[in-house]
Amino acid sequence: MTRIRAWRTYGAAALLLALMAAGIAPARAQDAAAPAYSRKGADTCLGCHDDPALLGLFRTRHARPNDPKGPFGHGGLQCEACHGPGGAHVQARGKEPAGIVDFGPHALASPARQNAQCLGCHQSNTAHEWAASQHAASNVPCAACHTLHAAHDPVLTTATQVEVCTSCHQAEHTDLYKPSHHPLREGKMACTSCHAPHGSQGPYLLVGNTVTETCTSCHSEYRGPFLWEHQPVAEDCSNCHSAHGSAQPALLKTRPPFLCQQCHEGAGHPSIFNGPQGLPGGAPSAYLLAGGCINCHSQVHGSNHPSGRALMR
Amino acid sequence: MKSLPQRRQLSRAFGALAMLSAGAVWADGDAPDTSNWKCEQCPFFEGYDANVEAGALYANGANFSFGRYTGIDRSTVYADLGAAGQYRRADGLDASYELRDLGLASREGSVELGQEGRFDVRLGYDGQPTRLYDSGMTPFLGAGSGNLTLPGSWVPAGSTTGMSALGATLAPVRIEYDRRTASLLGSYIASSTWTLHAEFRHQEKDGTGLIGGTFFTEPTQLPQPIDYVTDTVEAGALWAGHRASLRLTYTGSWFKDDTDSLTFADPYLPINPASTQGRLALPPDNNLQQFALAGNLPLNFLATSFTYAASFGSLKQDEAFLPFSTLPGATVPTPSALDGDVHLSHYALGLALHPLRKLSLRGDAAYDGRDDRTTPLTLNYVITDTFPSSTAFTTPRYSEDRTRLEGSADYELERWVRVGVGGKYLVNHYGPDQVVTDTRDAQSWVYATLAPLAGLSFTLKGGDDSRKTSAFDAAALPAAENPLVWAYDYAPRDREFFTLTGSWQATATLTWSIEGFSANDDYRLSQLGLQSVHERRASTTLTWTPRETLSAYLDGGYQRLDMLQDGFTGALTAPWQVGDSEHFWNLGAGGQWALAARWTLALDYLHAPSYSDFNTQIGALAEPFPQNWSRLDSVRLDLRYQWTHAAQLHLRFIHEKYDSSDWALADVGPGTIPNLLALGVLPWAHDVNLVALTFRYQFGAAASAPPP
Repeated sequence: MTRIRAWRTYGAAALLLALMAAGIAPARAQDAAAPAYSRKGADTCLGCHDDPALLGLFRTRHARPNDPKGPFGHGGLQCEACHGPGGAHVQARGKEPAGIVDFGPHALASPARQNAQCLGCHQSNTAHEWAASQHAASNVPCAACHTLHAAHDPVLTTATQVEVCTSCHQAEHTDLYKPSHHPLREGKMACTSCHAPHGSQGPYLLVGNTVTETCTSCHSEYRGPFLWEHQPVAEDCSNCHSAHGSAQPALLKTRPPFLCQQCHEGAGHPSIFNGPQGLPGGAPSAYLLAGGCINCHSQVHGSNHPSGRALMR
Repeated sequence: MKSLPQRRQLSRAFGALAMLSAGAVWADGDAPDTSNWKCEQCPFFEGYDANVEAGALYANGANFSFGRYTGIDRSTVYADLGAAGQYRRADGLDASYELRDLGLASREGSVELGQEGRFDVRLGYDGQPTRLYDSGMTPFLGAGSGNLTLPGSWVPAGSTTGMSALGATLAPVRIEYDRRTASLLGSYIASSTWTLHAEFRHQEKDGTGLIGGTFFTEPTQLPQPIDYVTDTVEAGALWAGHRASLRLTYTGSWFKDDTDSLTFADPYLPINPASTQGRLALPPDNNLQQFALAGNLPLNFLATSFTYAASFGSLKQDEAFLPFSTLPGATVPTPSALDGDVHLSHYALGLALHPLRKLSLRGDAAYDGRDDRTTPLTLNYVITDTFPSSTAFTTPRYSEDRTRLEGSADYELERWVRVGVGGKYLVNHYGPDQVVTDTRDAQSWVYATLAPLAGLSFTLKGGDDSRKTSAFDAAALPAAENPLVWAYDYAPRDREFFTLTGSWQATATLTWSIEGFSANDDYRLSQLGLQSVHERRASTTLTWTPRETLSAYLDGGYQRLDMLQDGFTGALTAPWQVGDSEHFWNLGAGGQWALAARWTLALDYLHAPSYSDFNTQIGALAEPFPQNWSRLDSVRLDLRYQWTHAAQLHLRFIHEKYDSSDWALADVGPGTIPNLLALGVLPWAHDVNLVALTFRYQFGAAASAPPP
């Protein structure tokens, strides 16, 4: 009995603890001795770090003196808002990092340490879904994608973003050159047209809740609902399409009639064997050539025709 | 009255709580005194700078294959125009504009105005051409409209070989469309925690597509009018605290197709003399309304972070029906429109916590519902106008809901080794009118990340997946469908997969990365249909940056995809099998070199072939199709000369050669197939030399800076 009471007590205390800890309070405990900041802030840093490549920062949103939330806004910690207190670094005359947080995939600071700096400001806005994202789970530092000191961060520009993403996602780099592809290589679409790299509540870090919702945000003509629906279309576009690229037309996983015959083998022509005899020179077949099945069943995404049951009109 | 042990327990618990709270306060630390942080050396941008680009490009040999998404689709001279500018006042007022590719159909531009910490407004335009085929021919008149007629000289026949006027009446038809998007978006920072935002997008997509129309067994490829408009509104509010946030968003999207049907004359000799026209329904107008709530809540307890999201909405469609057929006296169904109504719902919860310094846990749960509440209609539909009998059939409605549970644990064993495990469980529950009630997919994986040397790290991950399916309800299959075929999205499946990623910064200037993936899917219970899918991918990149002014790279990739499926035509023939084996390669090399203070040279080479082999077998007879292939070779050269601080010359040269073969299109002209009047489009191919010379001039602050 005593043991049960003890567990109750501990349980109540744990609940109270969790509730109190849930309050809006600063991050978990850090070192007791707060490290020192530099004496003059950015003026101290710029005394040494005056490389033009770094000064591109002052063209970006991170360096706006009138933005009260920005690092260079009134009372902001300027360079040290991101790089951490630089007092020890100054004292060491810059010869060692001495507590400075450096950024990038090969930085001395761990990805978690780097990201903690970024999340200090961005956790409640841009990166509010970061913590549970696949990129966080893979320990990807923010600076693996973002070039913060450049006047124009390449990952924020449609035409250059794909180069950044495919520097890690190399298989998708190969996809860019497949005969059927979305216009990423041509710079008219970005990876972020479909994916939310900072986290998403949908699958595959998609911007939509589902694959279909994501696709139909641009391809709204296929949204339906149609009078006659095609079940796999309503379910998931990726049942038939490979969004990153394909050797087949229209980003299809394989081509008609074979793609269609993976599901349809009804008595009659759907089940007919289509071999090379159906090519020109043999007995050219409308089941095989040009669009294959979709020569007739052209309304595969659904039909609103009262007689469109076979998706032919 | 509390016993002594109880009081002791409570005091211990509150003691722990007090210590934790104290820790939180302790962590606050003292904010530094920044009163002397003047930022006097900070080169904040004020004033204006701008640049304009003007020049010309000539693309010799360009066609639709080359200009598929750029609009450089003819051998001609194009204006190469662009501009960008920025103005900023000391009080934080900021304005900018950017205009690109103004001489091309892919032109885009934006204008932004904002006040730091107050508001932002952006007006944008984006043109996106799609050029599919410029090799098609059709006898139909009125391409691009909703009514296709045949010339007066047309001679109908039972097959294309008998259409004696076909050759004389063929005219080129271009399968192309343009998507143009105008957008206006803005955000207003109402307070330190509240931001309001709104966006309006107007998108037009117009041009000509390709669609099939048919009379019983006599199809025709037709130019399809594309005349779509989609208007989308997004508006919402964001509350962002120090670390927690909450956002509310409304999305409304209205799709409108200005051409509701495509009517076409029958080019064949009608079997039914009354049936001389066909009609296709084109995508109906629809609209989507959605409300969403999402946010995050970080907790101090175990460095926990919650994310949550919920959205609900509906998708509606109520376009007036067409008549059942084009035959005289054909009626319109009752009711005269679908009144389609699909409810969409989404709930998700994500969790990440660090119970130990070296241990992190992550998990998420999500539910997606697609509830089709459209009233099923029973229609006496006309199977084909050729034989105008009607059959009563009730339209199936497809609903489903999906639940996804996913979790992973990651532990840092040593500074150089991390290990992790994870799992995912997916349940898809299907509504009525479907052949299964649910599928259950269980996936698990383990991984290890090793970093044995500074700069070297690689991750190995492997796992498997098993999808199980409820009993198969053959009664829900359409009539005559073979019950042995399980659609692959339903079918039981076993999957195993393995990935390898790694990177090595060998020296300060040399970096090597690698990625590999292998997956095997086995549809072991499917007697017909898809049997197996094997996927292999490998890629690598080597970069060398010996100094700031010189960099080079070498990259390569290979992918292979093998699919195998079985079929069965009927009792009188042997079972058949089709294998599809696809191979993709890419090999790239290039670099950038600042030759001197004024010259910059970039050079890129790309070789990217692909092969696709279809092999069929029926009984003992195995026959391969001719190989489908593509080959892309490209050389790009960029040479920039910084003439003065403000002026730059930019010379571009691109040689790109693409060739491909596709047995579905090769040698398929309008009259090749007796019962298909095809457009006769050809596989993509081009051999292009593009030269562009552009003059760029800077104004304002940047013009006074030294050359880079």
